[in-house]
Amino acid sequence: MGKVAMLYDSSKCTACRGCQVACKQWNDLPGTLTKNRGSYENPPDLSPYTWTRIRFIEKYEGGQMRWLFLAQGCMHCTDAACVKVCPTGALKHHPMGLVTLEQDLCNGCGYCTQFCPFHIPRLLTDALTGKGKSFKCTFCMDRVTNGEKPACVKTCPPGAFSFGERNEMIAKGRARVLYLQKNGYPNANLYGDVLLGSLGRMYVLLDKPEGYGLPVSPVSPALTHVWQDWVQPIVSVSFGVTALAAVTAFFIARRHIRMEEVE
Amino acid sequence: MSVRVKGTDTAIRIRWIPRYTALERYLHWGHTLTFILLTMTGMVLFFPFLAPLARGEAGQFMRLVHRVSAVLFAAVPVSYAVLQPRRLLLTLKELRFGRDDIGWLKGAIPYYLLGRHVDMPPQGRWNTGEKMNAVILVSGTIIFVLTGALMWFGKGVLPVWVFQAAVIVHDLTMFATVSMFIIHFYLAVAHPLMWQSLVSMRYGVISESYAREHHAKWYYGEEQAKKLYEQAKAKAAAHGKAE
Repeated sequence: MGKVAMLYDSSKCTACRGCQVACKQWNDLPGTLTKNRGSYENPPDLSPYTWTRIRFIEKYEGGQMRWLFLAQGCMHCTDAACVKVCPTGALKHHPMGLVTLEQDLCNGCGYCTQFCPFHIPRLLTDALTGKGKSFKCTFCMDRVTNGEKPACVKTCPPGAFSFGERNEMIAKGRARVLYLQKNGYPNANLYGDVLLGSLGRMYVLLDKPEGYGLPVSPVSPALTHVWQDWVQPIVSVSFGVTALAAVTAFFIARRHIRMEEVE
Repeated sequence: MSVRVKGTDTAIRIRWIPRYTALERYLHWGHTLTFILLTMTGMVLFFPFLAPLARGEAGQFMRLVHRVSAVLFAAVPVSYAVLQPRRLLLTLKELRFGRDDIGWLKGAIPYYLLGRHVDMPPQGRWNTGEKMNAVILVSGTIIFVLTGALMWFGKGVLPVWVFQAAVIVHDLTMFATVSMFIIHFYLAVAHPLMWQSLVSMRYGVISESYAREHHAKWYYGEEQAKKLYEQAKAKAAAHGKAE
């Protein structure tokens, strides 16, 4: 199978949050106690224990409030900054287009949490000792690689999620956007078909991405490339050169310097 | 102190001059030890071929050692500043660069590489190379501690670009200081002309003859050293003409 993708259709979502529950259930994640913050959105943010959640964006138009829903979770980028900066190889690209996180390898450095353009991975860590692990949506790798759909996709009652071959999902998303644009949603658009080499999680949005708080043109941070593509190789080579120069200098000095004449 | 030359009756008298206080030597070795620990535990995150050591439990241990060493690495110079502030100021004042340093740099390669004695302007308690080493390591320490603290305590609190920049600056500082460390290690441990350096970092003293030759401004005082240097130069020039 080639690359897969998940397509989330914001226009079909009813924000029942079945996906949140299914995610916790399948991945064996504990519930967390939260407080009412004056919004139906709950929990308030992703966390090491919450890998996906529905965002309730309140949009006011002509004195009327309208909700925009969004299933937040790992975007499974083709050009993933987290994979690039991960020093342990715990974060990897899977041939099926998933970005996987192998917990055993993770040492809790948290670079992924700081370089992800979507701010998805979350760190469970002891601030003092730094002992910790990073967590994020795994795209239910165990299910997907066995021909099943991710838990959130499987459970969705209104069928807001689709899952399958990536090109099919892109085609389906584009068709849906055309339909929505003709039927009262001129701003409808497909998010993620071309971003960062195409995303494993794509959105059919009813409003512009910025209306959903999504980055319009996410890029893996420039410093990622400075660091991984320039600093590391150049420094590696120069250390070798410096050490070699010191050894060479030692032999040259030994040939030329007569210790009898040194005070 | 006199040293008996092996297998002979000849005794050589060496006058030793104090150069470092006990605290300064403790600073030096404390910093060396923690620097090596920090470099070793930091490298596993930097070099891809060391990635197996950065993984899982091993990686968490590395990061713990890095943090403990980092606290000591920062504490050592602070304790020096608290206990001997006047020595610290004196030392920092000596890190001034001037025209004599250019002359030293010109003569350094033929001298240290080939042992060829070219005329080098008189030096203070620190020669140009030592001053460069000190400047890079002192400023490197400050940058290390600042960026390290940002990454340790600022994750998730500060904007992500601050963290990202701190990672790069930390790495570049590592590059500068480790390069300096390789050169410093070579000169101090392996270089035949520098055998007194380890002695002075262990016992705090250098021999009078070495001080006279290599740190004339310190030994004679600035003006006297300059006068002697000019005299020697004039004499050498006259000698050259006579030939």
